[in-house]
Amino acid sequence: MQALSRLSWWLIRAQFTTRRAATLLSMLAVALGVALGYAIHLINDAALADFARAMKSVQGDPDAVIAARDSAGSVPLATLNAIARDPAVLVIAAVIETRVRIDNARTPVTLIGIDVFSAAAVMPDLLPRHNEQAAAPNLFNGGVYASPALLAKLAQRAPDSDSGARPGRTLTLVRGEQQWPATLAGDLPAARPDDLLLVADIAWVQERFGPVDAVSEGRVRLAPDSDLATWRKKWAQQLPAGLLIRVADDDSARVSNLSRAYRVNLNVLALVALLTGAFLVFATQLTSVAQRSTQFALLGVLGLSPRMRLLQVLLEGLAIGVPGALLGLGLGYALAVAFTRLLGGDLGGGYFAGSAPPIIPLPAPALVFLALGCLASLAGASYPAYLNRMQPLAQALKTGFAQQSHADTARATLPRLRLPLFLALAALALAQLPPLFALPLAGYAAIALVLVAGIASAPLLTQLLFGWLSAQALPAPQRIALQNVAQAPLMAQVAASGLIVSFALTASMVIMVSSFRVAVDQWLDHVLPAPLYLRSKATPLPQDLLAALAQPDAPFTRVERMANASLIIDPQRPQVALLVREIDRRDPAARLPVTGPLLAPPATTPAVWISEPMAEIYRLAPGQTLRLPLLGREIEVFIGGVWRDYGRQFGAVVISRQDYQQLGGDFQPTDLALWPRPGEEAHASAWLAPWADQYGLEVADSAEIRRLSLSIFDKSFAVTYALEAAAMLIGLFGLAVTLAASVWLRARELATLGALGFDRRMLSRAVMLEGALIATVGVLIGLACGVGIGAILTHVVNPQAFHWRMALAIPWAALVTGAAITLAAAVLASRHAARQATRLPVAQVLASAQ
Amino acid sequence: MLHVADLAKQHSRASRPLFSALGFTIAAGEIVALVGESGVGKSTLLNCIAGLETADRGSIAIGPQALDIVALDETARAALRARSIGFVFQAFHILPTLTVAQNIAVPLLLCGLPAGEHAARTRALLERVGLASFGPRWPASLSGGELQRVAIARALVHHPALVLADEPTGNLDPRTAGEVLALLLERVREQHTSALVVTHSQHVAQCCDRILTLTPDGLLE
Ligand SMILES: Nc1ncnc2c1ncn2[C@@H]1O[C@H](COP(=O)(O)OP(=O)(O)O)[C@@H](O)[C@H]1O
Ligand SMILES: [Mg+2]
Repeated sequence: MQALSRLSWWLIRAQFTTRRAATLLSMLAVALGVALGYAIHLINDAALADFARAMKSVQGDPDAVIAARDSAGSVPLATLNAIARDPAVLVIAAVIETRVRIDNARTPVTLIGIDVFSAAAVMPDLLPRHNEQAAAPNLFNGGVYASPALLAKLAQRAPDSDSGARPGRTLTLVRGEQQWPATLAGDLPAARPDDLLLVADIAWVQERFGPVDAVSEGRVRLAPDSDLATWRKKWAQQLPAGLLIRVADDDSARVSNLSRAYRVNLNVLALVALLTGAFLVFATQLTSVAQRSTQFALLGVLGLSPRMRLLQVLLEGLAIGVPGALLGLGLGYALAVAFTRLLGGDLGGGYFAGSAPPIIPLPAPALVFLALGCLASLAGASYPAYLNRMQPLAQALKTGFAQQSHADTARATLPRLRLPLFLALAALALAQLPPLFALPLAGYAAIALVLVAGIASAPLLTQLLFGWLSAQALPAPQRIALQNVAQAPLMAQVAASGLIVSFALTASMVIMVSSFRVAVDQWLDHVLPAPLYLRSKATPLPQDLLAALAQPDAPFTRVERMANASLIIDPQRPQVALLVREIDRRDPAARLPVTGPLLAPPATTPAVWISEPMAEIYRLAPGQTLRLPLLGREIEVFIGGVWRDYGRQFGAVVISRQDYQQLGGDFQPTDLALWPRPGEEAHASAWLAPWADQYGLEVADSAEIRRLSLSIFDKSFAVTYALEAAAMLIGLFGLAVTLAASVWLRARELATLGALGFDRRMLSRAVMLEGALIATVGVLIGLACGVGIGAILTHVVNPQAFHWRMALAIPWAALVTGAAITLAAAVLASRHAARQATRLPVAQVLASAQ
Repeated sequence: MLHVADLAKQHSRASRPLFSALGFTIAAGEIVALVGESGVGKSTLLNCIAGLETADRGSIAIGPQALDIVALDETARAALRARSIGFVFQAFHILPTLTVAQNIAVPLLLCGLPAGEHAARTRALLERVGLASFGPRWPASLSGGELQRVAIARALVHHPALVLADEPTGNLDPRTAGEVLALLLERVREQHTSALVVTHSQHVAQCCDRILTLTPDGLLE
């Protein structure tokens, strides 16, 4: 065994030194796949942990939380008192949370009102520390306490010691039109370094900002011997419909649901990178097995067992995979650290706010990704290993790599069509399946099948193309190229497969992104009807602004108001947006990009129109009724229709202002759509500017919003262009490598031709034509597969993963240009092989019997 | 050391068998020349003996244990080749990515000989074939005659029971051919190994203990 492993090592070392470029490239591809997957894993782990920590710092770690399901709602004190009397409850800490601006600063901070005695038991991180030196009132008479991050911000804003972060200084807390003075009395020593928090006494907050006789949440600590599940069940039945009980599991499920689809898609990208690595290992090992067939035959003759001939090629694959995967782990760690520093824990996806979470590599996942990298390289090496094991020794020793595929070139067209057709039909069937575990797994399988179908149809197309070409009267070099491909079908197949896969993936990404962009563009047209928009970030718009807008001298012909709130329908899922809009019950399509049927609601029932994501996540359809947790109770509403929404992935409900107010809701607008008087656009903006300044409002014109949205879209898909480029390079590299190998394999034939009087130009042209033929087959099939996969991505994967529906928009011009460039690049790549053909030392090749 | 009995072989697409009911014996330490017209089946016979092609019928007993290679499976055949047979080919077949010394050590590795003994045995054989200083060199820098000397060293380094040589001098000029052949026979005799040497050269055949002639009608002594 020890002796054999030494022989094996000699061969591996020889392989690395003689085929350095191909080996390194395969290694890098494996590394890239492992790195991507591992980085995504590390980042997501860190982001989830960070999110949990952030949650804990503000919320503490109560056993359960009593909260309103409607963001505008609150928990009545009477309910809290009833719960507090339950002997199973040890402590219940009431909390009021609201957003305020300090001294008219633009960004709001969170003001938390606590009861310091109960908070000590449930939310220790929020306990304030009084500054003894300052002559400031304490918590109970109007003192407020700021987190370290907020203190730093205050000090930065007013560096002179008079105001800034000096204890005892007066802060003005602003919420809408309400303004209250408060005195900075100390800090929150246990708050997380990046939280912007202000803590005050709950009664103080309630008196100034409300709500009356209610609080935002009650956080419950149960007695040690009581069971959470039974307690929860009991109270869930007794609570009013507008309230819910949240436990820690709900929070983590919700957080994981938040980023799930995004995460899975990134993981699929990593998988594609890993498969690419496997393909490169495959191409490298196949050509190297072909090139060394005489050497392996010799070793077999000298007594290397068939099992060892198989094992050796697998070992060589591992020799690429293990260092590649190790490199990938290091690279993945570096990527994770770099990306969280640059973009935060959601890679700019906008799911988790906050600073860079710490990346902590654990041994078990690292081992899993190491194993994945090794598996990919083993998978790539397995077919070449099998071929090597099956080589007939005597024949391979005499004439080199033996291919048995002559027999099936003679097969008829129809049977050869059967397998690709079957695969395509299977892909079509898979594409019809619903999501599995809320993920488009069947869609991914369909994509894989389309690729296999494409690869399986390559021999047929090659045969048809060649049949047609050989019927033409061609000059000698071209005829030789045709014969060569016909004689080395395996090599041609490998080269074509690489191109099919890379071109199909690239084309499908281009198709998906272009369809999406066209759809977003149209959608923006529809959802931005007004020239100007105004938005309040935290609190309802000030009444005096609304009153001023209603005056006849305001420079607007039309103002539409909207109130933005959120609802919890399922505590395990992210919140759903509630949009109260000035919308005509009978004509919602005037404002909403409605898809599908619009049903007139019964006169007595309130109507809502739900977004596509909402319809899909909660399986709702127009005409159904839905019980919405609204205004502290459950209200039955009629679903009048479904509208397209690319803005809110987790669902949105639109209700008309009239319906909302009839239900008893207090309409407090947060957003405005404004139509300036014609010719007075500049005046209109100038009119709004002081309001925006005073109340920290955002004003934007629709062109700007549009530009910004599209630029965000383009940025988030920029990474796909890099991936497409990488895929094409790998495909072309595969073509160059395999062509070079097939030239090498036919060295004797080509040398013979050279000796017979073919000049170098003719030989080189023959090889380049061969490359062009293979590339034509690859690009044609790749294009067809790309369109199929693009359709699956747009119609199956996007709706199932993100609930985004859109029409297919195929950018033919871009695709045809891409195909032409790929063909040109393929001809260039085959020049590399052609050069080998012309440099063959004719005499030497003919003299050696190899 | 080699006992062939009742051997029959026909290639799958051939119209008639190459040979049927072939039988002969090579005693320990005996060197036998195999001659015959081109295409008559000499290489096929050697391939059958080495277990690289499967005979249709008959038995081929090799080595002191007289194992019948026709009856063995692929793995056992490889093991038998590794232990009991040395090869010299017309086309040399020296692995280009291993040094001369490593090439010679390959059969020792395939026999599973402990690593400690390689160096000494390889060096000894390099000396015996007159290439004492060639160990660390790469095959690409060697002449044809030198390559065939390396092949002879490789064929004998593990003390096989039988050496099979298929036109070992076919690719060499007459003078080198003579030298290489003399060396091969000398070393084989020195190790008391049996050998079957396919050749077209009358001179070579004369140097052997016995001459077998393969004809389409069978084997002539
Ligand atoms: N794998 C094979 N399949 C079919 N015919 C073969 C095969 N190998 C050799 N032959 C044929 O068998 C005959 C004997 O070949 P070979 O043993 O190489 O002859 P020799 O070595 O005596 O010149 C030849 O006619 C050759 O064409
Ligand atoms: Mg022969």
